[in-house]
Amino acid sequence: MSFPSVAEDLSRSAERDPEGVALVVPDREVTFSELDGLVDRAAAGVRESGVQPGDRVGIMFANGVDAVVAIEATLRAGAAIMPINPTAKHDRVSDLLHRSEARALLCDAERAGEATAGVEASGGKAMLFSGIDQLSSDATAPHETPGDDDLGALMHTSGSTGGPKGVMHCHSGLGFVTDSIIDYLGITQEDRVLNLLPLSFGYGLTHLLFCMRTGATLVLEPGVGLPGRILKLLEDQRITGLPGVPTVFQMLLTLRGLADRTFPDLRFLTSAGAALPGPAIEEVRRAFSGAELFVMYGQTECFRTCYLPPDQLDVRPGSVGVPIPGTDTWIEDDEGNPVGHGVVGELIVRGPHVMQGYWRNPRATIERVRQGRRPRERVLASNDLFRTDEEGYLYFVGRRDDIIKSRGEKVPPREVEEVIHLDPAVHEVAVVGVPDRLLGEAVHAHVSAREGSELDPGGLKRLCAEHLEDYMVPQQVVIHDELPRNQNNKIDRLLLSQG
Amino acid sequence: MTEATADVRADMRAYLQENFLYMHPNVELKDEDDFLAAGIIDSLGFVELVEEVQSRYGLTIEDIEITEENFGSINAIAQFVASKQSS
Repeated sequence: MSFPSVAEDLSRSAERDPEGVALVVPDREVTFSELDGLVDRAAAGVRESGVQPGDRVGIMFANGVDAVVAIEATLRAGAAIMPINPTAKHDRVSDLLHRSEARALLCDAERAGEATAGVEASGGKAMLFSGIDQLSSDATAPHETPGDDDLGALMHTSGSTGGPKGVMHCHSGLGFVTDSIIDYLGITQEDRVLNLLPLSFGYGLTHLLFCMRTGATLVLEPGVGLPGRILKLLEDQRITGLPGVPTVFQMLLTLRGLADRTFPDLRFLTSAGAALPGPAIEEVRRAFSGAELFVMYGQTECFRTCYLPPDQLDVRPGSVGVPIPGTDTWIEDDEGNPVGHGVVGELIVRGPHVMQGYWRNPRATIERVRQGRRPRERVLASNDLFRTDEEGYLYFVGRRDDIIKSRGEKVPPREVEEVIHLDPAVHEVAVVGVPDRLLGEAVHAHVSAREGSELDPGGLKRLCAEHLEDYMVPQQVVIHDELPRNQNNKIDRLLLSQG
Repeated sequence: MTEATADVRADMRAYLQENFLYMHPNVELKDEDDFLAAGIIDSLGFVELVEEVQSRYGLTIEDIEITEENFGSINAIAQFVASKQSS
């Protein structure tokens, strides 16, 4: 079985509806035919620069037209996109370029400084293009039709140890998951979807992919911004779909007059990235009573795993639903045997959306991926704990690792601790997640000083901001004379995470 | 510039210094500088900022008023507060 490649979606939509609006960004609308032309020229530039099919191309942009052109042009040139968070600093850029052996890095002018430093620190092997205009060529490159198993996206995810891992998604898998999401959300050409999430984030990227495939309009904002602006966009842009992480919804719920507004065009909301607490689910449903709320769960390793059909929200509170169309899930115990309803075990996912594996990391790949029964189907061990109810609906129970989920993004405590240890005055540090209404979990760093040294919490936060993506910077740095210990004489993280 | 808006500007500069600017020691924030573009405040920071303006000046702020036009810079806040107080 094979699935149409996402590389050809834009040109198909442009042929079908050239004057249809593909993108709306602040102060600009771009039609499908205009976007197709921009992507054609940039794709030709990508090929002329020497990027070959299968090469990895780093893509580091704030959300906007150029971000979309960079992604679509790379795919059209037959290469693989490697999205990089736009708030990444040069040491992260360097690390990702080095790990992936990327052939090129595309970025916008605002990120040229960190990108240049990152390319230099990684050994200078990647070609740097800071601005889409540096790529545009008048030549027309032949559209590359990628093979089903060719690498389409290398997405990075954080693990507890060992730094970020590159998750390999083939073209066929990207095409499959796009179709599956279109299916259960019922996306059509008439939809207008507001995307506030970074396109570098798997969840954000899926909105671009399904809009390009269906010919729907993507209203793309540079970021979450201010809540009044979101309300204005929902109304003025006649938005039909609003995807969010819990932080976005919690922020909207701080608005007192939300319940008095009606959004007649809004058809659906989706929540993923982290769990939206039950009371917030109820508040969101009351505030957007005309729209259906889809509670979902996914991982970078397969983009999307499951969703709860909105008519089940009252029947099964707390559930994340059923596997996405065309896939299957079950739960296994530690010995790999399937368990019955109500028993907690590891969630296993089967389908064509499961990653090919981790980039150049066979050991980690073997732990998580095995072949499925059908061709192009793989089985993923999620490393997350779940249970099912009697009808087989899924419930998230917890993580097996110590990753913090803040604003829907993964924060590995160890990476933050390593940065804090760059300050020679630091004796010990423990970074923990503390429940927070807006963030899901807030990142708190507990630190003690070396004898005779003094620590400044603001200075340590600045140090983190210089090295880490914005969402990883601790909200609070707490200085202790000594960090608390548990019975095993280890730092008592459990106590610290209770706030 | 009226005296009232000058007070608001001074209040806001002090508030921003204490809560956000210590993270950006190299940034010299001018009254017209855009908080989002300068990377001084993110969307969650704005939730706190709006709360602060609301409670400090005893204003009732409508949802639709929480935009960059009204909260995007020190000048914007000063003008917004003045217009709310006079209405």
